[in-house]
Amino acid sequence: MWAVMKKEFKSYFFSPVGYVFIGLFLIMFSIFFYIDVFTYQSTNFEYIFYSGATILTFIIPILTMRTIAEERKTGTEQLLLTSPVSITKMVLGKFLAAVAIVVITELCTFMYFGILCFFGTPHITTALVTLLGFLLLAISYISFGILASSITENQIIAGVITIGFFILTWFLPSINEIFTNFSLINMFSKFPSGQIDIADTVTFITFTIVCILLTIIVMQRRKSVR
Amino acid sequence: MIELKNVTKKYGKVTAVDNINFSVKEGEIVGLLGPNGAGKSTTMNMITGFIEQTEGEIMINGFDITKKPKKAKKCIGYMPEGVPLYTDLTVKEFVTYMAEIKQVNKKERKEKIRQIIEKTGLKDVEKKVIKNLSRGYKQRVSMAGALVGDPKILILDEPTVGLDPKQITEIRNMIKELGKTHTVILSSHILSEVSQICNKVIIINKGKIVAIDTPENLENRVNNKNCIYVTVEDNENKIDTIKNKIKEIKSVQLTQKNEDGTKQYIIEAEGEIDLRKTIFNEFAKENITIFEMKKADTTLEEAFMKLIEGGNK
Repeated sequence: MWAVMKKEFKSYFFSPVGYVFIGLFLIMFSIFFYIDVFTYQSTNFEYIFYSGATILTFIIPILTMRTIAEERKTGTEQLLLTSPVSITKMVLGKFLAAVAIVVITELCTFMYFGILCFFGTPHITTALVTLLGFLLLAISYISFGILASSITENQIIAGVITIGFFILTWFLPSINEIFTNFSLINMFSKFPSGQIDIADTVTFITFTIVCILLTIIVMQRRKSVR
Repeated sequence: MIELKNVTKKYGKVTAVDNINFSVKEGEIVGLLGPNGAGKSTTMNMITGFIEQTEGEIMINGFDITKKPKKAKKCIGYMPEGVPLYTDLTVKEFVTYMAEIKQVNKKERKEKIRQIIEKTGLKDVEKKVIKNLSRGYKQRVSMAGALVGDPKILILDEPTVGLDPKQITEIRNMIKELGKTHTVILSSHILSEVSQICNKVIIINKGKIVAIDTPENLENRVNNKNCIYVTVEDNENKIDTIKNKIKEIKSVQLTQKNEDGTKQYIIEAEGEIDLRKTIFNEFAKENITIFEMKKADTTLEEAFMKLIEGGNK
């Protein structure tokens, strides 16, 4: 599992994918930061993450769309699946590599926290809770992205399915309030207030586990239909 | 070492591999031979555990590939068709990654990787990114990937496809060399390759095994005619009368007239006797000059075609 993770992590940086992901996120985040600080005169670190969460919707697929689809297309999955590594470990390795990239991105956002310290006194625990919520949102997005990548050998289709699903869950609450609890991004919106919502945390983690399990099932199943 | 019992693979209603049985003993080099779409790759994919058989049982070194996949897979080095590789990695990184996922002992890893890179002749390019390598080198990298982890069994799917003649010879020699220490199954549709490298041939057609035998036996199996090719200078056409002199000759047929005035004939003998000596002596008496004479062996190619055609009927 660690071998797969290590290699996946490295290949994010062999190809531009890793740089594009981190770069895009930081550019967007900087813009929101600028607006927040200079337009609204706010020194609130957490609020930038409301906008930050929407960026994730569009850039998580960059990380996940190739994970399994590309291996399938180029045939390298034959190397992986005929090695003694189990499918579970393979999927987890890929998942953790993508999570690692997000963690790095989050660490980068601390520089904004540092800048804010000059202007005021941002609250460190609230910031950490927000980052935790942000990470939970990211891992559920990543797990879904990997699931989408496992069902097709076309990266673009995997990416479009992923973005489509995120946007759908984003806007569902505006159709009917019943859907409020199904919206991942809505669940995140409670974290910047500084409270860890147990129900939401559990939902995020459950969603992630379900997606990963489904990915493993898809991979197992393809063994007999391939 | 490898045992397939009543193995069947179905895709929906299409049967790709139909109830095949064979076993490979330790140290054998076995060639899977068949036209495209015969089920060679499917069979190999099932042996390596990449796909699951619909029915039947596959044992690798005593482990069932579906029930004990981890142990079974450890015994196998697989070089898939079309040499899929992580083209972003360098040769060394790729081999290292393969060593990691094949769980090669951490202490020995470095040394083993070095040995494999040396063995496959990749020392000069180990720091190059795979996508910039030529096809021949990619094939070697793929072979190196298969060799990682000291598997007892090597499964090579069309190992020489797309290579130039020099590279083909190199890869073949490498396989022959590896065959001394490994059990090898390779697939090919090049017959001469199989007859050169393998000591056992399995011919598959339409998902069924048509024949399992040594290359020599397969040739002999269809080699019932006893024919001799001769190229002679015979200006007086004495060869027409030769049939009366040698009673064992069944027929003499002119196959080719060459520009230099020589003619090629095919002489068929009755039964299983070798007529070359008699022909040589009689032709000399008749003043027919022999330029060339050879026994017409049925090649594996012909044997293959006959077996496949037989299966199609």
